[in-house]
This record gives sequence, C-alpha cells and structure tokens, in this order.
Amino acid sequence: MASLSEEVLLVVKKVRQRKQDGTLYLMAERIAWGPEGKDRFTVSHLYADIRCQKISPDGKAKVQLQLVLHTGESTTFHFANDSSALKDRDATKELLQQLLPKFKKKANKELEEKNRMLQEDPVLFQLYKDLVVSQVISAEEFWANRLGGINNTDPAVCNNKQEVGISGAFLADIRPQTDGCNGLRYNLTADIIESIFRTYPAVKQKYSENVPHNLTEKEFWTRFFQSHYFHRDRINTGTQDIFSECAKQDEKGLKSLVIQGVKNPLVDLLSLEDKTLDEGYGICTTLPSTSNANKTVKESSNSAIIKRFNHHSAMVLAAGSRKGDAPTDQASETSSTDGNSRDSDFFQPPVKKVKLQEAIEYEDLQRENRPKTVALNLKKSDRYAHGPVPLQSQQYTTSQDIINSVNYIRHEMMNYKPNLTEVLSSTAASSAIAALSPGGVLMQAGAQQAINQMVPTEVQGELKHLYVAAGELLRHFWSCFPVNTPFLEEKVMKMKSNLERFQMTKLCPFQEKIQRQYLSTNLTGHLEEMLQTAYSKFHIWQTRRMMRKT
Amino acid sequence: MVEDEVNLLVIVVDVNPIWWGQQAQREPQFTLSKCLDAVMVMGNSHMAMTRTNRLAVIASHCQDSHFLYPSKSWRTGDSGGDDASSSGDGKYELLAVANNLIAEEIRNVMSRSKGNSTDTLLAGSLAKALCCILSMETASSFVIYDVIKAAEDCARQYMNFMNVIFAAQKQNILIDACVLDSESGLLQQACDITGGLYLKIPQRVALAQYLLWVFLPDSEQRSQLVLPPPAHVDYRAACFCHRNLIEIGYVCSVCLSIFCNFSPICTTCETAFKIQLPQMVKPKKKKLKQTM
Repeated sequence: MASLSEEVLLVVKKVRQRKQDGTLYLMAERIAWGPEGKDRFTVSHLYADIRCQKISPDGKAKVQLQLVLHTGESTTFHFANDSSALKDRDATKELLQQLLPKFKKKANKELEEKNRMLQEDPVLFQLYKDLVVSQVISAEEFWANRLGGINNTDPAVCNNKQEVGISGAFLADIRPQTDGCNGLRYNLTADIIESIFRTYPAVKQKYSENVPHNLTEKEFWTRFFQSHYFHRDRINTGTQDIFSECAKQDEKGLKSLVIQGVKNPLVDLLSLEDKTLDEGYGICTTLPSTSNANKTVKESSNSAIIKRFNHHSAMVLAAGSRKGDAPTDQASETSSTDGNSRDSDFFQPPVKKVKLQEAIEYEDLQRENRPKTVALNLKKSDRYAHGPVPLQSQQYTTSQDIINSVNYIRHEMMNYKPNLTEVLSSTAASSAIAALSPGGVLMQAGAQQAINQMVPTEVQGELKHLYVAAGELLRHFWSCFPVNTPFLEEKVMKMKSNLERFQMTKLCPFQEKIQRQYLSTNLTGHLEEMLQTAYSKFHIWQTRRMMRKT
Repeated sequence: MVEDEVNLLVIVVDVNPIWWGQQAQREPQFTLSKCLDAVMVMGNSHMAMTRTNRLAVIASHCQDSHFLYPSKSWRTGDSGGDDASSSGDGKYELLAVANNLIAEEIRNVMSRSKGNSTDTLLAGSLAKALCCILSMETASSFVIYDVIKAAEDCARQYMNFMNVIFAAQKQNILIDACVLDSESGLLQQACDITGGLYLKIPQRVALAQYLLWVFLPDSEQRSQLVLPPPAHVDYRAACFCHRNLIEIGYVCSVCLSIFCNFSPICTTCETAFKIQLPQMVKPKKKKLKQTM
C-alpha cells in the first residue's frame, strides 16, 4: 500500500487494466493502478523498472498506453473516459516522458557498475557465484556494502548538472519575422530569455522589478525590443525608457573593466593551447563570472566602438607628445584609457618585472642555498664502533700464551707444503656425509615438509574460495553486533542460518572430499574454529536476550 | 661463441695465529696446514668444474689481510711455474700454480706474524674481497664468498662489517660462512641477508668434505640440492647502556642509539627528550556537607 507521504503527481480516473475499471496514479517514484472501489494498488511499477512506454496510434478507437519493463513484461492501460481519454493519455504520456529519463539512468548505471565490478575482479565474481548463485545470501546483502562507492558519487554528479553555455549568436537568432502587416514578430524561447538575462544582468534586474506588477511579460519584451537599448545605435539621450539605465550600467561596467587593465603584458601566446575539459566539461570548476561572459559577447557587439576609441586615444597621445600640449577634452572613456596608459608609464606592473628577471637569471649559476643542517654531536662515539651487539665473554689470553702460539704457528707454517692427497680420511668423510644427509645432525630443522607441497593445487584453490566465502559471511555476521535495532536482530539470525547453511553445503562436502583423498592434514580446522566462535557468540546473545525478556 | 658465465669464488680464511697456535696444541690432527689443504682442494675443485671459473683466496690475519691468490708476484713462466710443471703428476697447470702460490704466500704471511693484536681483521678482508670482486667483475654473474672463520667475532668491527654486508647484498653477492669454533652472530646475519649458507662444523677434520658438499655448488645448483636449512637468526639488538639483548626499547631519534629504559637525555648525543605521560585524573573530593 502506498505510504501516505508519497507525492501524487497525477490521478487519472476511468482507466481500465485487464478489463477492470480503476484509477491510475502517478507518484514521485512509481506508477500505480488500483481497481475501482478498492483502496489497494494491484499494479505498481517503479519508474526505474520501466524500460519504455508505448502508445496506441492516434487513429485507433481504443486509447491505450503500454509500459514495458526491463524484465520484458508489459502492462497495458486503457483510457476509457469518453470525453477526455485522449487528453488523459497524452497527459500521462508526457509526465512519464519527463520522469522516466531521471530514473532510467540510475538503474542502468547501477547494473552496469555491478557488471563491471564482477568482470574486473575474479575473486569477487567467484564470491558472488559461491554465495548468491547458490542462494546462501541474497543479492541485496551482497551488494549492500559494495555499491557504496557509486551511490556516493552519483548524487554528486547528478547535482552538478552541466551548465549550458550561452550561444554567441543568440542575439542573431532572434530573427524577427514579418508579421504580414507591418509588424515584427520575435520568437523568444526560454533559452534565449535565459541567455539575455545572463548576458545583460541589468535587463534581468529590470525584469524582476517590473514583471509581473507593472508590465506583463509580453509587454516587457515588446518594450525591450523597441527600446534603443536593444538597437545598435544606442542613442539613449532623452528617451524615457526603462532601459536607459541599463545602458548607463553597461557603460560603467565597461569602464571598470578597462581600469583593471592588463595584468600580464608579457603574455606567452605560445603557451595557449586547446585544453580538453574532462568528463563533465569542467563542471567542477566554478562558473565564469557574468562579467567575463559580458566581455565575450559584448566584444562582438562593441568592438567597432572600442576600435574607434583606441584609435582616437592613440592619435591624441601622438599629438600630445609631439606638441607637448595637454590632450583636448574628450568623452570620459577616452580620458580613462589615457589615464591608464600614463599610469602604466610610471610604474611597471610587477608581473612584467618578474618575467624579465626570470628570463635573465639562471638558478643553477647562483650560489647554492643548501638547507641548514645540524651536525651530529656524539659524546660516546665508541658506541658506534661496536653497535647494538651484546657483550660476549672475552677470552683472555696471557701474553705468554700469545707468544707461544705465534711461535708455534710460525714454526709450523715455515715448512708448509700442501699435501693434497691426504686431506680427508674416508671415515671422517662418511661421518660428515651422514651428518649432512636428511635426518642427519645438521639437517634437523628442515625435516618438516611445507604443507603446500603436500596438498594438490586444486584443493588449495577450493580452500581459498571457501575462505573468501566464509570471510564474507562472517563479516556480515560480526558487523551486526552490538545488536541495537530490530533490523540487526533479524539480520543476525539470518546470518547465523546462512553460516549453518554454508557449513552444510560447502564445508562438509569439502572435508569429506579431502578425507577421501587421504590427506591427513587438517585443512579446515581453522575455518571450523571461526564458525564455532560465531555460533557461540550467537548462542550467548540469544540466551541474554531470553533472560532480558523474562 | 656464447660467452660463458664467469663464476668467481672468493675464499676468506681466518689465519689468526693465536687461535691457530692454540688449536695446534689442542688438536694436533687439525692444524692450519690441514685447513689450508682443505681450502686448496675446494679451490681446485671450483676451478676444475668450468674453464671460466675463477678463484681468489684471502688470508685474514691480525695485522692485515693478504691476497694469497691471485698474487701480485705471479707471472707466468717464472721460477714458480717451473716447479709446478715439474710436479710430475699431470695436474692441470693452473691448479698447480695456484696451489704453489697459495702455499708460498701463506708462508710469507705467517712468518711475519707478531703478537701485537689478537683480533682478526675480518671486516677488512671482506672489504678487500668485495673490491676485488667488483674490479674483476666484467661478465660474471655469480660470486660467492666463503668465509672460513676460526676465532671469535670482534665487536669493534661491527660497523664496517655491516657496511660490507649491505654492499654485498646490493651487488647480489652471496656470503657463505663455515665456522670452526664459536658461533658468530655477525656472520649469521651476513648469510641471512645475502642469501648464503651458514654452517658450524661439528668435525673439523672433515672440513674438506663439508666444503665440497655444502659450499661448492653455486646458487643455481643449490636450489636443486638438499642442504642444511638456514638457522634462525637472532636479530635482536642489544641496548647501549647494558649491552643486553632487548626486544622492545627506546631509540634516540637523533643518533639512533638504542636504550632499554627511557631517560630524558640520550647519553650518546646528549639530546633532551620529553615524553608525555598519561594524564592522571585526580579523583574529585566530594565536599561533605556538614550538618550542624
């Protein structure tokens, strides 16, 4: 039954489904149909499950809408209201058209993500096969912890919808069409209106001030197009227009841009390149300010004026420097640009200096600035000579002993002649060999054979899979503790039965199999121990719960 | 023609005269002469295995370390060579020459012995051997160095020793150790780090057998043979204050000296340290209301 808090977007009465009369409800996340008279929904589909919708052709007598789900099933609704069947159907169709795309992507993306994860990670795939396909745990539990990644990133991506930029030619697109009798017809779409607002914030301001209290939207736009502000000549003196202020604001904006000046006169044009914005077309970066947008669009419309001004200023300067006269009074724009250029003569912008400095000096030719180090000052440096070695009992030899030994050895070696035929006696050799053979005195430590040499590889592989699967189940089990909510209680009981089922279906056959192969090593001892610990913990928890209840 | 791999074997023999002198009196059937004979047998076997195998023998003495073979005075066709060719037993000439040289050199070395110091300069010998290896190394792939050790470890050579070991490890040089008398922790570490074999011989008389069985095969062949398993090496460090082996200790971050107890000043470099002890929570005294 629908929860009361669901938002109902559309209700359509007299919709038949499977030859039954009823009402169709479109909610925020699903579409549902309930038969007449009953307050239960017999048919309910989430938008995410719907693959597409189909409508019956217009000419047909029966006005129908069919929903095809991802699973392949389809549900058909017959709009039976005599008067408004077609309208109802179309309204439903349009609403669905708007809603379905929102949910579609999410569902597909999840499935795609899941598939990709399974394909990329063979261990995960094996785990999935072991646990979900053999019905030890359900698929939702399996994916519960793993899809955290995409679900976390998804909303972030969805929220930062890409901003649609302003078409540079949008003003040109508003081509007036002659209306037949001496009038002009401008077609304004929402996009164009948005572009105008973003490019000319002054217009937006005027709009918000005047519409809807003073003027209707239509009137506003009519006046806009009629005003001289819109037209190229911009002779805005005299006419009392709501847009005359906008023109003044625009001029102010332009002045401030000019005053800012150029920050880096030594712009390296060669470093400019086509940079590709990665996925999302740079949505992570902040939006460019509208003043920049202003600039790019205004450039195209104001470039002629700017060129004239610049030329004028250059001529004035040239004249000024030749004659030494003060430049004649001009429009404010030119004086500001003049002032700018004079200012720039007085102090070099710091960036330029830095750039020049960089070009002149070489880092490696300058004196080295090594990081300052502190010398190690040891008071007891003999400790370094012997290092962390324990004291060994020194054998003290008296000097007499030393002298004796040295003399003895010198005497012995004076007449040394190698006698290689009598190096080894056979008894000595055989006892040495006996000591070195397996089982001998020197070979004791290596007697144990490594376990991985005794167990065949497939058994090892199976054991690994068992460990991975058991680990996963145990993780789910242990994450339930401490059991605070009824959901965790249910989960803990379910996990215990899962563990038992796992032991029954996977572990015991494996044990029998290795016993049959006469492998005496206890390969599954540890696994059983882990399961036993889980069972005993469950048992303790259960008894405690019983005691609390009684 | 395919270039043969050159296997170089460097044998470092500890010829501490004091120890050997005492040993000769303790156990006359195994003296330095016998030891050197065994070493020669091993050297000969190594050279006989492949034409491209090479040998170097260093005697590690108390005063210095000396190359017994190859020696600077060796020139083909000198009087030494004549002796060899006239040995009459049809021996491979290289082996004969080598043996004679080794014998001559050791005689020289031992005749110069004085009883000034008692410690074998093992670290120095190893370092010399390493230099020799690196200078000889052109196309050689396997280098093994076999240390035959008689006397005890000298603690003062620790740093040099460790440096040599790490250098050998970097150069993929195996260090094997054949110990005659007392277990040597340093050599155990050396063998463990470089991947060589450490063996303390129970019967000195059978030295040649041990050398041939355990140390002659090169590293490739060793993986196919059943050889004594590596011993467990005790890597515990000793604290600088008591020279006891400890498992957990305090290390000065400036000079890296190890101590078993915390002290606010490191005694080696005199750096002051502070440790934050856990805050002691004083139990709040509840004021008892006194009723009048």
